[in-house]
Amino acid sequence: MALKTQLFQYHVEHAHMFEFAGFQMPLWYEGIIPECLAVRKSVGAFDISHMGRIFVSGPDAEAFLNHLTTNNVAALKPNHAQYTLLCNSEGGIKDDLVIFKLEERPFLVVCNAGNRAKDLEWMTSNTGSYNVRIHEASNDVAMISVQGPRTARVLQSLCEGVDLSSFIRFDCRPVKMAGQECILSRTGYTGEDGFEVCIMNSTPDKPGQALSLWSNILRAGRELGIKPCGLGARDVLRLEAGMSLYGHDITESTDPIEAGLDFVVKLEKGDFIGKEAILRRKDEGVKRKRIGLKVTGKGIPRAECRILKNGRSVGVVTSGTFSPTLNTGIAIGYVQSMYSNMGERLSIEVHGRLLEAEVTGFPFYDPKLYGFRRVQ
Amino acid sequence: MKSQEYSTPDGFYYTRDHEWLKVEGDVCRIGVTDYAQKSLHEVVFVDLPKLGKVSRAESLGTVESVKAVSDYFAPVSGEVVEVNEALENRPDLINLSPYGDGWIAIIKPSALEAELVELMNSKVYSEFLRSLTAK
Repeated sequence: MALKTQLFQYHVEHAHMFEFAGFQMPLWYEGIIPECLAVRKSVGAFDISHMGRIFVSGPDAEAFLNHLTTNNVAALKPNHAQYTLLCNSEGGIKDDLVIFKLEERPFLVVCNAGNRAKDLEWMTSNTGSYNVRIHEASNDVAMISVQGPRTARVLQSLCEGVDLSSFIRFDCRPVKMAGQECILSRTGYTGEDGFEVCIMNSTPDKPGQALSLWSNILRAGRELGIKPCGLGARDVLRLEAGMSLYGHDITESTDPIEAGLDFVVKLEKGDFIGKEAILRRKDEGVKRKRIGLKVTGKGIPRAECRILKNGRSVGVVTSGTFSPTLNTGIAIGYVQSMYSNMGERLSIEVHGRLLEAEVTGFPFYDPKLYGFRRVQ
Repeated sequence: MKSQEYSTPDGFYYTRDHEWLKVEGDVCRIGVTDYAQKSLHEVVFVDLPKLGKVSRAESLGTVESVKAVSDYFAPVSGEVVEVNEALENRPDLINLSPYGDGWIAIIKPSALEAELVELMNSKVYSEFLRSLTAK
């Protein structure tokens, strides 16, 4: 029996549904392509209530999270969030997370839907002598992501007494949206400017508040062409931005160095789980690296396709798709380090055919034209 | 989800894998059905068959949407003599006109009479679709 989010009733009436991490979720409403383009050019709204939300409180909350994760929680300012990794003692990635530090409130840890149970178990089993309280609130809090260059314009009308331009990227604060208690953050998984909204005290059994805020957001964005977006568009948008998907591009058998995520590994911060192994791997040098591949002809790379150089297998695709923004096939994969340089020409084997591709940096799109750093 | 209706025009033969075949003199035109294109949704790439000999049920290539890949198979044995090159730049023709401009290939059949018996007519195929969507 698949799980339902607070917005299930809306999805089932409007979307093409599929099952993801045990949840009945929208794959697309109108179509993946128009939904992606809405987010790149204007604004789109996603239900991300399937993700895990865990509150960590108590006098040792900060030290505990710093021991568990790779980024520096002690450096996190109040009302700010950070991207970080949860690693095992061998340095393998258990999950990628966003940690919110809210003033005079517990830390909020947002994890991947498929890792809810695993992360909770890992956190609980590593409390040791830390004086902390771990409270899983995934089912008590709904979560909506609004993404695209016009997001702030749409959400401002719903946030009384709060100036959204005062939020810098990764800021988070409790706000009232359309009268409801929420935590608002300038975060997302599309590469675009955008906000994520946690709607407090809203369960799948009593979805009224979440459904009402969802329809308020869609109404507020109507004139700007807002589109409800499914997880199909979410996956394509994060891939275009070069962001990793847990379970595909990062797993327990990939480490942060080869995944190119060392920018969230703070080796100087003190001890944390996996640190020794990561240091060792860094000293030895990694044998393979995560890269972006852009297909130069026709054809679409898919996960598990082999990557070749002069007919010899040198790596594997971990995510692949057609990019509506670039109108070409793109992929994330791992290749032997010597073939990971920008501009390297490689082939991808797709159903017995070889596609020519070129190693590119992230994001795949031109950051002057798309994404949160775009030139207005 | 809105309930879907699928077009299954008369005069075409259909397979259980959702290909169609139309006899045109001594050759057959083939493509994928309305059900196939609606299941895939936005088609963004068609891997066209190579010219030459094919056996019935052999994979001819793929029709791909952003997130999904679907093989399509030869409805009859024979020789692929022409492919729809327009699909290279306009794969969306499969969505716009699955039984018309979105055709995929022309096959010169080698055992047409024996193999046509294995295919469904419009009435049988639409019943087959009802049995699939009733699940």
